[in-house]
Amino acid sequence: MTQTADVAPPTTGRRSKAAARPGGGTHRLHRSEHRWALAFVAAPIIGFLLFTLYPIGFAVYASLTSWNGLGPMTFVGLENYVTLFQDEYFRIALYNTFFYMLGIPIGLALSLVLALALNRRIPGRTAFRAIYYVPVISSLAAIAIVWQFAYNGDFGLINQVLAWFGIDGPDWLQNTATVKPAIIIMAIWKGLGYSMLLYLAAIQGVPASLYEAAALDGANAWQRFRSITLPMVRPVTFFLVVTSIIAGSQIFTEINIMTPAGGPEFSSASVVWYIFRKAFKYQQMGYATTMAVVLGLLVFAITLIQFRINRRNDFSID
Amino acid sequence: MKKNRLIAGALCAAVAGTLTLTACSDGGDGASDSGEKEITFMFRGGPDEKAAYEAAIKKYTEDTGVKVKVIVTDADQYATKLQASVAGNNVPDVFYVEQATLQSYVSSGVLMDITEQVEASGVDLDNIWSYGVDSYRFDGTLQGTPEGALYALPKDIGPFSFGYNKTMLEAAGIPLPDKDEPLTWDQFVDISKQLTVDTDGDGAIDQWGTGLNVQWNLQSMVWSNGGDWTNEDRTEVTVDTPEFAEALQKFADLTNVEKVTPSASDAATLDTYQRWMAGEIGFFPVGPWDVSVYNELDFDYDLIPWPAVGDAGTATWIGSLGIGVSATTKHPEDAVKLVTYLSTDADAQQTLVDANIQIPNLVDMAETWAAEEGAEPANRQEFLDIAQDYGRAMPAAFTYGAEWYDELWTNIQPVLDGEQTAADYLAEEQPKMQALLDESNATAEQAAAGK
Repeated sequence: MTQTADVAPPTTGRRSKAAARPGGGTHRLHRSEHRWALAFVAAPIIGFLLFTLYPIGFAVYASLTSWNGLGPMTFVGLENYVTLFQDEYFRIALYNTFFYMLGIPIGLALSLVLALALNRRIPGRTAFRAIYYVPVISSLAAIAIVWQFAYNGDFGLINQVLAWFGIDGPDWLQNTATVKPAIIIMAIWKGLGYSMLLYLAAIQGVPASLYEAAALDGANAWQRFRSITLPMVRPVTFFLVVTSIIAGSQIFTEINIMTPAGGPEFSSASVVWYIFRKAFKYQQMGYATTMAVVLGLLVFAITLIQFRINRRNDFSID
Repeated sequence: MKKNRLIAGALCAAVAGTLTLTACSDGGDGASDSGEKEITFMFRGGPDEKAAYEAAIKKYTEDTGVKVKVIVTDADQYATKLQASVAGNNVPDVFYVEQATLQSYVSSGVLMDITEQVEASGVDLDNIWSYGVDSYRFDGTLQGTPEGALYALPKDIGPFSFGYNKTMLEAAGIPLPDKDEPLTWDQFVDISKQLTVDTDGDGAIDQWGTGLNVQWNLQSMVWSNGGDWTNEDRTEVTVDTPEFAEALQKFADLTNVEKVTPSASDAATLDTYQRWMAGEIGFFPVGPWDVSVYNELDFDYDLIPWPAVGDAGTATWIGSLGIGVSATTKHPEDAVKLVTYLSTDADAQQTLVDANIQIPNLVDMAETWAAEEGAEPANRQEFLDIAQDYGRAMPAAFTYGAEWYDELWTNIQPVLDGEQTAADYLAEEQPKMQALLDESNATAEQAAAGK
């Protein structure tokens, strides 16, 4: 029965497409294509169900239990959520996590400036591009250890450099006032290359005709940047803001390595660091999961708002 | 028809792809392909420990014919990895267990009761430090008592001793402290002051009397002053007593009043540890695990009892790590044998002791070891005195989790910087710690009842 199709699938396939069009997809071969499509679609969907949806559902359930991560779970209803809203450390950790995000606009501005600079024909351009990208591909754990040494109050690189200018630098990571800025500086440095690369690509994608037209109209360099470059790289900015906030809300590795005890007076602890500590040090997996669920909801809400704002802006540009 | 089958095949492949992921992680237990038995042993440690264990395990395999698959992790990652293996139902047959998490592993049915197998194996438990063995006994309500069922054997016990830089004291013309008579606190501060000097005359102090870390050294000071973290049955937090406050105040005063340590912000272990090793610090703690490194230093050092703050006698803590067996192991006998081997076999112990990372677990062997002529440090006996005589368990070693205990350190910096008095701080902390301890005790009861 299926012999014709099997013998010469390419030709019949092509012909059948043309033939099937007026018929509206009732052709047997067309149906089989659909089935194939479904099979291919099934793979990621099954993956999503197994590795995303199921764990989320499991986490929501676990957040309603008292569970040490080893033994059976005891259902306790919303008790963990009540505890969470009274947990002073969670509040501090949440504050710290948002504080770290202050680095995002600074990092984006810097990387845009860098991208603009490296888009010009300056000597050693390729070398600079590579140098700024090196931190991105380096291991975060290794970088955190290096920066930990750099921030050392006595013999750290940072304070040695400050000493040249007669500044007596603080012991960065041991001081409640400086530990968060110190980590922000490191995070900006680490992420600079990635944002720069995306901006560079976006800038190069701006049609030269726009600049020419603007130049003919007498626009100066700043006006061209304000009215052409900036709006044209907006999609990249939006992408970077959204992904940076999602990644920033999960900041953990550098905190755990540079300040293993959460910093002096809990001043560097992030939410994920606190979750990790509760789950794996104190065996409070149920409560830790509650915090993870709340953090996930917060990130989801923030991202949703961002998409709303972005959509509104799009209309105003059109 | 054929295509339908192909589609089904594709679907199967997609599903199987995800399944093989779980199947792949299911290695390690059961018999290997050649029909030989294999058990897994997961531990954490540095290169010295790794080398020592490899030798000990090699001998075990030669003796028993059972292969051991070793999984080593970083200290930071161990807890995470072990918990993941429990969640994944793939617990290593033999693994390290901490004193403070023993109860949760027992009540969750992860650890096997090895009392009978160990007895049957003919191991003389009386010849192992009783502190080490009792640490892993748990009777369902209390841990650390001699009557409970045995859930692990000690990997080691770590008597946390105190040392001094002999070369530095001799150069300063200070009589060496007595190895049997603990220094009084005033004597200790006095010597420390004499040692805190600017040796090269550049106007900056570059040699200090001491440089202690509050998390590891406060215990000795509090205990020797008659204070403690909790009452006897670990239900009440007693950090707000005058004895406790005095000890903590004296700790902070070393930096702020006596000025015999590097500044408070430098008190993070790394810095004073590095300075001690560079020969810039007079008095510094010494654990058995430090000996291999300290013996390579450019100066001589020796051990003394901890200086006593009050009149409750010298005191310090003994750390310990246990080696337990999974309740789900397919080879309980072989697994318990590996535990007894790592913990008590004389040859295996010798390998570990030769690496200078621990004291022998066997009492008779330790006594010979301590009496060795020309040993470094000369006063090895101090480690044994702590193990046998005046060492205590860490305050949170036998409670259900250590969160209540860690709480004390979280906000302590202002006290160390001299911005807040110890008494004020401890009065603030006591209720917080009490709440956490109550919670931990309630969880322990729940877990015991649920079992």
